[in-house]
Amino acid sequence: MPALLELHAVSKRFGGLDANRDVSMVVEEHQIVGLIGPNGAGKTTLFNCVSGFFPPTSGTIRFAGREIAGWAPERVLRAGLARTFQVVRTFPEMTVLDNVMIGAFARTNRANEARARATDLLAFTGLAGRARVRGADLTIADKKRLELTRALATQPRLLMLDEVMAGLNPAERAQAVALIRAIRDRGTTVLLVEHVMEVLMPISDHVVVLDSGRKIAEGPPQTVVRDPNVIAAYLGEKYRPRDEGSA
Amino acid sequence: MTGFARSRPGGWLPVAATLSALVVFPLVVDDGSWLNTAVLVLLYAGLAQAWNILGGFAGQISLGNAAFFGIGAYTSTVLLDRWNVSPWLGMPIGAVIAAGFAVAVFFPFFRLGGHYFAIATIALAEILLILFTNWAFVRGARGMTIPFVRGPDRRPTDSWAFLQFNESRVPYYYVVLGLAVLAVAIAIAVERSKLGYYLRAIKNDQQAARSLGVPVLRYKLIAVAISAAVSAVFGTFYAQYLLFIDPETTMRLELSVLIALVAILGGVGTVVGPLLGALVLIPLSEVTRSQLAGSGNTLDLVLYGGLIMLIAVFQPNGLVAVGDRVRRRRRAVRPAGDGAERGDAPLVGAPGAGD
Ligand SMILES: Nc1ncnc2c1ncn2[C@@H]1O[C@H](COP(=O)(O)OP(=O)(O)OP(=O)(O)O)[C@@H](O)[C@H]1O
Ligand SMILES: [Mg+2]
Repeated sequence: MPALLELHAVSKRFGGLDANRDVSMVVEEHQIVGLIGPNGAGKTTLFNCVSGFFPPTSGTIRFAGREIAGWAPERVLRAGLARTFQVVRTFPEMTVLDNVMIGAFARTNRANEARARATDLLAFTGLAGRARVRGADLTIADKKRLELTRALATQPRLLMLDEVMAGLNPAERAQAVALIRAIRDRGTTVLLVEHVMEVLMPISDHVVVLDSGRKIAEGPPQTVVRDPNVIAAYLGEKYRPRDEGSA
Repeated sequence: MTGFARSRPGGWLPVAATLSALVVFPLVVDDGSWLNTAVLVLLYAGLAQAWNILGGFAGQISLGNAAFFGIGAYTSTVLLDRWNVSPWLGMPIGAVIAAGFAVAVFFPFFRLGGHYFAIATIALAEILLILFTNWAFVRGARGMTIPFVRGPDRRPTDSWAFLQFNESRVPYYYVVLGLAVLAVAIAIAVERSKLGYYLRAIKNDQQAARSLGVPVLRYKLIAVAISAAVSAVFGTFYAQYLLFIDPETTMRLELSVLIALVAILGGVGTVVGPLLGALVLIPLSEVTRSQLAGSGNTLDLVLYGGLIMLIAVFQPNGLVAVGDRVRRRRRAVRPAGDGAERGDAPLVGAPGAGD
């Protein structure tokens, strides 16, 4: 059986900059796949290409057996691939419940059904108590959780999370990790971007490492952390001043 | 969202009370000028309700809705004048034409961002006005007179079949009341449906909406089609009410501005807002019009401009928000409020996480 998501030689150029260059990778169904890389490695760009926010300059992207490169975001979503944003994009003037209902409406036309599904999911992700709060009034941690819930409400086969744990404290991170595991156990495949390795290693079945737009390593987490290329890329990063979470 | 559309238990009571008052009104107030003002209030309430579907729910500010109003007025009038088609039939035909026109024209407009969109809508109505002014088929600037329905004695007579009343304004009042109720019902249905949710998501964040599967362009087009159709229905009514139309009375810029202003003053994105706005603004503009008679329309525009600035500075959410604020304050006075809704989580998470 082919993998759920297959990228072949995906490149994305912005003017003279190769944000992604010949990136090939696969995401097997029912796995949690980690995508890591230092600042500016091209992780978000790859997300944008896959989720239809812009077409790749070249390369192919197959999802569930269909070539989706160049599809509009709403079409990609309907095919079963949902993503969150690194910079949260909560609907500020809508309640938490309404935010999630927008996601649920991807699979139903009936408001009652969308509301019921959203309510269930809010309980699952631990946001039920805040259902009637406006999106704008949430903490960053809750906004991230809301985005995740909203994406989940679209009933994706593949959920792509862009730095959902950035800016969370250790306790919240632990909660997020537990939640992501629970999501996978319900049958949703997860592609997880983080730029902090420690967060990602324990939960990933497979890790892909990007640096300067190229894939520099991939494999099981234990192997990847010992890879000299990866160590070099991250050592380089250590000497770059970087403000955690506010990059 | 505020408004009786999200009906609280017992929320239908004020609705029933308001409706009964509106039904009884002409029986109590037997005065032509008051009745005229009431007809205009209901007319603008409906037009603002239509505007609100695109401008309020979806956040796409149109300053050209008079174009749809004009299309409605002209469609039924031409059909009546040339082929003796009843305005009751001309009304839905006008609505369909306005909706089709809106979809065709707004398709490119929706590619324009923010202010450019609003400017394009102004240009649209102005161009239509100029076209009609120079179009012989609709008698250009001279305008069109709705032919009288005559009784056996050759005198003008009332006719429900042809939506024409010469004896009294009361039947017109009930017709426009019915149409306004219809507009409100449509707005409520939109607000509660998937369409309403999607439109609000579009207003909040189009990219996020797309990421959740919202076909943004398609939903904006649905919104403008509904908005145009409802506006056109009132256009037909207006033609029958005045029994005369010309491009100026049906499509001028002040009309478009007033429609938007009624909704904005009342509170965008709510069902109650346009009703409140019409109730406050239309009598006011009638008074200034009669007081400043002869000085033309320009002073109206000065008044509207001033109002827009006042709203922007003091009450961006409109009159509806004043009510909400009062209600919230009253609730806050009560010891056990809904404080559990906010502030019970520690403010964790570095601000500005992400790039
Ligand atoms: N829309 C764009 N236009 C031009 N350049 C872009 C655009 N988006 C990203 N880039 C550039 O592409 C490169 C990769 O950026 P990207 O955001 O994909 O990195 P990232 O791995 O997500 O980094 P981070 O860890 O900071 O989120 C960067 O040099 C960035 O400046
Ligand atoms: Mg990124």
